[in-house]
Amino acid sequence: MASYLARRTGYMLLILLISSVVIFYALRSAPGGPSGGGVLSPLSSQEVRQAYEKRLGLDQPVYTQYFIYLGHLARGDLGTSLVNGSPIVELLATHARNSLVLGLTALLISYVIAIPLGVLAAVKRNTWIDQLAMGGAILGMGIPNFWLALILVYFFSLRLGWLPSAGCCDPPQLIMPALVLAAEGTAVTMRMTRSSMLEHLRDDFVRALRAKGLPEWEVIIRHVLRNALIPVISLTGLRLGWLVGYALIVETIFRWPGVGYLLVDSVLRRDYPVAQFFSLLLIFFVLIANWLADIGYGLANPRIRVA
Amino acid sequence: MADLTVIDDKAAWEARVDRLWAARPTRWRDAWHELTRNKLALGGSVIVAFFTLVAIVGPALAPYDYAKQVLSDTLLPPLTQGHLLGTDALGRDLLSRLLLGIRISMAVGLGTTAIALVVGTVAGMLAGYYRGWVDRIVGGFVELVWGFPLILIAVLLIGAIGPGLVGVVVAVGFVNWAGFARIVRGEVFALREKEFVASARALGKGDLDIMIRHLLPNVVGSALVMGSYYIAIAIIAEAGLSFIGMGAQPPLPSLGQMINEGSGYMLLNHWLSTIPGIVIVLLVLGLNVLGDGMRDVLDPRLKGTG
Repeated sequence: MASYLARRTGYMLLILLISSVVIFYALRSAPGGPSGGGVLSPLSSQEVRQAYEKRLGLDQPVYTQYFIYLGHLARGDLGTSLVNGSPIVELLATHARNSLVLGLTALLISYVIAIPLGVLAAVKRNTWIDQLAMGGAILGMGIPNFWLALILVYFFSLRLGWLPSAGCCDPPQLIMPALVLAAEGTAVTMRMTRSSMLEHLRDDFVRALRAKGLPEWEVIIRHVLRNALIPVISLTGLRLGWLVGYALIVETIFRWPGVGYLLVDSVLRRDYPVAQFFSLLLIFFVLIANWLADIGYGLANPRIRVA
Repeated sequence: MADLTVIDDKAAWEARVDRLWAARPTRWRDAWHELTRNKLALGGSVIVAFFTLVAIVGPALAPYDYAKQVLSDTLLPPLTQGHLLGTDALGRDLLSRLLLGIRISMAVGLGTTAIALVVGTVAGMLAGYYRGWVDRIVGGFVELVWGFPLILIAVLLIGAIGPGLVGVVVAVGFVNWAGFARIVRGEVFALREKEFVASARALGKGDLDIMIRHLLPNVVGSALVMGSYYIAIAIIAEAGLSFIGMGAQPPLPSLGQMINEGSGYMLLNHWLSTIPGIVIVLLVLGLNVLGDGMRDVLDPRLKGTG
């Protein structure tokens, strides 16, 4: 296990390094350059533009810029935004916190809804409860999250006026983005809980417990569910990775100032320092999440523990 | 499996293998029969077939040009005379835009999935068949993209080449081939040890022949099931990216782009966004249900557990 962990960690660092080079080059090869957040306009003269790029070091070869950037990173200097001059350390503190609040709320919502419904659907297999829950799950996986967001905004903000349609960071503003972000994960988790429960309900030990005269609810909650939850929980690592992807869209729609919103915005505005730092941060997060998923998978199922 | 007594005469062997091959389980005929009986799969196929037809012939039947602006006729509600689904804020006919939007979304979904399916199947087949270093190289690439959120990769790629459908197609293809490669590799890895492969090899059949004639037919079913899910994933990804301004660029209408354009008019003219949204939901549901149905047909053991 120790050598596996070492190899896995080395692999993660390698991917991070490759990604940093690719992202660095990719951003700079894109058409258009930074507008300097109002310092430059499309009408700025060539000299002004060149002076601006020189001041930021953008006139140097890309590999020189890359090594200078690595040097700054090593000294803990993350740089500043080209658009509004805010230090990236400050952006990191506020935006990462907002994203964590949103992501963890979504994760919590999905488990609170999905696990009880999944258990109920498995216990009441082939009844209307099962069919309703599974129908809901199919819908949850089929409705694109951004469209769900629009529909929720239409009803709860525009028609009923109960919830604000965007913004941060009061609890009412958190409700809709968290629900939208939770939707697909809830559907997947519910289906997984159900099929895992069905599998374990057939186990011999269940028959033995029933024969012992244990009440049915105790058999299901204390024994079957405990076994059935293992794959569901070990799915959490993968789900964290998916959340990163969905967060890019959901945060953009609800103008939730998280890392996803910041990344989309900085890519579109060619804010190189912000875009490259936060894309690496998200890649790092996904790698950690996948790493956790692998470990979780191995712990949950020792037979297939990765060699 | 028939007995494998040694037959010296090579021609007799060949005849025997051909006979066995001709009498192979009629899985595909059965599958077709099952598919037409399975209500789920049938419903899914009908929806998917309908939208495919619309994507092919729809734009030719469109009553107006998709980009033609008539500023005296803006924001007409559906069922207005001459505009079945109404018009948008620039007076463009919504039905005409929707028909082209369906074509674009379907083309992106089918196109990326076709590329991913071919690349993934070939890579998975080579990895599972040759094992060793081929397997390690393919496995390394699969590891690299597997588990990465599609949208994150797409956003970064689009950051490099600029917004547009090309970036969407490349990003989706780049991520999704790994899914096919994983499945195909696993199946080929196991199939390679079966007697029919050993006997084909004993006959002196080449690797390529074995892969195409004997292994491919056995893995294509799972690849197609995966394919229907991946088309849905690609359609949702394209719509999401277009929605945040990174996919199809105006005036081109993709379904996500249309939802985005309508999102500013939700209170009074919600149909601009709700109609393309409903189309996406129907399309994606159809594809997912078709995938579930095909999976039940090709692997009945999994029925009702997923």
